[in-house]
Amino acid sequence: MKFSKWIDKRAGYILIIPAVIFIILFSIAPIVGSLRYAFFDMQLNDQSKNDMYLSSNVNLALNQETIDYLRYYLDIDLDSVEKEITIDKIAEIKLDIDDLEKYIANEIATSDLKAIVKVNQKDQEILVGKQQYILRSLEELYSIDDEFYSPEDTLAVASEFETTIIKSNFVGANNFVKVIADKRVRSTLKFTLVFTFISVFFELILGLFLALIMNRSFKGRSLVRTFSLIPWAIPTSVAALMWSYLYNGSSGIISKIFSTLGLIASPAAMLNSSSNALWAIILSDVWKTTPYMALLLLGGLQVIPNSLYESSSLDGATKFQQFRFITLPLLKPSIFVALLFRTLDAFRVFDLIYVLTGGGPGGTTESLSVYAYKVMFSQTRFGYGSAMVLVMALIVGIIAFVYIKALGVDLIGEDSR
Amino acid sequence: MKKAIKTSTLLKIIIILYLFIILFPFLWVSLTSFRPESDIWSSNALNLKGMRFTDDNYAKLFKTTIFNSLKNSLIISSITTVYVTLIASLAAYSIARLKFKFKKLLTVVILATSMFPQMIVVGPIYRIFVNLGWTNSYYISLPYSMLTLPVAVFILITHFSQIPREMEESAIMDGSSKINTFFKIILPLAAPGIFTSAIMTFIGAWNEFLLSLTLNTDEMWRTATVSISFLRGQFEIFWGQVTAATVIVTIPTLIIVILFQKQIVSGITSGALKE
Repeated sequence: MKFSKWIDKRAGYILIIPAVIFIILFSIAPIVGSLRYAFFDMQLNDQSKNDMYLSSNVNLALNQETIDYLRYYLDIDLDSVEKEITIDKIAEIKLDIDDLEKYIANEIATSDLKAIVKVNQKDQEILVGKQQYILRSLEELYSIDDEFYSPEDTLAVASEFETTIIKSNFVGANNFVKVIADKRVRSTLKFTLVFTFISVFFELILGLFLALIMNRSFKGRSLVRTFSLIPWAIPTSVAALMWSYLYNGSSGIISKIFSTLGLIASPAAMLNSSSNALWAIILSDVWKTTPYMALLLLGGLQVIPNSLYESSSLDGATKFQQFRFITLPLLKPSIFVALLFRTLDAFRVFDLIYVLTGGGPGGTTESLSVYAYKVMFSQTRFGYGSAMVLVMALIVGIIAFVYIKALGVDLIGEDSR
Repeated sequence: MKKAIKTSTLLKIIIILYLFIILFPFLWVSLTSFRPESDIWSSNALNLKGMRFTDDNYAKLFKTTIFNSLKNSLIISSITTVYVTLIASLAAYSIARLKFKFKKLLTVVILATSMFPQMIVVGPIYRIFVNLGWTNSYYISLPYSMLTLPVAVFILITHFSQIPREMEESAIMDGSSKINTFFKIILPLAAPGIFTSAIMTFIGAWNEFLLSLTLNTDEMWRTATVSISFLRGQFEIFWGQVTAATVIVTIPTLIIVILFQKQIVSGITSGALKE
């Protein structure tokens, strides 16, 4: 009984907690993760850089493996060599190897002998000294004229010692400096901004126009509304593939029509020339999103009370005056939300470009997201890619801030009453 | 009188033109999907006269993994819909009706994550998934929450706020606990809103591309949206198969739109409407 009362008092928290946990695990924690990656030269395909190392580390497993191989090769050598001096030298080197192993076990290793462990500057120097000493002794050994098994292989194994030390890949703000200096970031940012501005502009104008039309009563209005949902509901990658067929140079009907109209030089030029490709992408985006914009704005139009129009027309207001002084001001919140969401969506455009042009021709239609994706997953440069994405997030934040300030609307408003 | 007829003709023309533009790409792609591959590439490919039709492309498509991808999409989207709708309902009710500290902060945190570029979470999530051995599995439904949860919460807050308070107040007066009241009284009343949010979550998950592209890379684990993007091979494109696949993948979307258009419209507009 007491327990259920305790629960009831905290019902607000208990009900919201699952959602908060999911947001923390799959949104906030990864964002923090990206923020950390951005300060490291992290490259997934490079064994010594595939994690974040603030200080130097030793790869104990690799070190042990090298030691084991050296012992194995030296034992083979011991069977075949003849000179006394060689035998002595080999025994000496084996003692050095024992010494290195002991040093690691006593001074560096934790309980896990196969782990990657931190080392301080002093220990690192001693360790490298011991490894280098073994390497040099081996070189001396093989300069003796005797029957060795395979000096090249042994030396190659010994040179692995170098890779057992993993240097810190912390680079501070270096990645951000590089992002700002990166010419490709600049060109992709410019492309993304141009794409965002032009697409959202057309979507807003056409969407508003269509919303005003759909707000009138006519036969088949609900049918038009249903059909309007189709472009929005089709997955972007599928829509992109559809358009890539309509745009293709040999049998694409849209590219054929455009070239017949003289808008483009030839059907093949639709996606082969960078300026045409930009407009091709914009057209696909406008096709996909304008109906959605229209529905959003239609929702806003429908809550404007009819009485306002009736009384104003009694006062002799023209249609245009009604639009200018009733519709637009009352529609402002809807326009704001539609603009904000569409701008942020367009700015992070990925699927459409990835499938339609892949960023081509020659990287001229690459959006920031597409470039960041290539850096992270084709070149596996996670550190640099994360810095790029963070710069992108910052720009998104600035855009949102400017909208909120410029339009002066409280996004969440009194919803949290 | 004359003028009214004139505008209505103009209106008709605009509406017909609009519908034509909206539907044309899909209709043309559907038409192509029934044509032999050789005809699509021939010099009079765009000639409507003498067009020949075949179901070859669909027959060939059955040999690819596209249907397996559709199954993956269906399972992953369904899992996402069920758990996201559940936790979003709880959270939205808490935000819409209950009073507690830090409510505004938590609400802003949940809703604001939808504004971040998705690319920002993909890197760390990829690494975690690789370390846990979760790539190429249905676990991908979990990070889909990043995309769908804020939208679902937003839609549901709007719906819960519209339910009259009297019913739950009288239930609480009768000694029912808040959580009991939610499940017994609010949930049934909010069913239409919950349904709307479920549909929107399903569509969001079904259309997801980036996480699926990075996390489920194995051909047998690809979702439909990613699978279809791989049909555009590096060297040759079989438009017949590509268009047929496009039609197959689009059909579930069309069914959902036609069946649930009311809910979808209310889902879309509840974001823009402020009461």
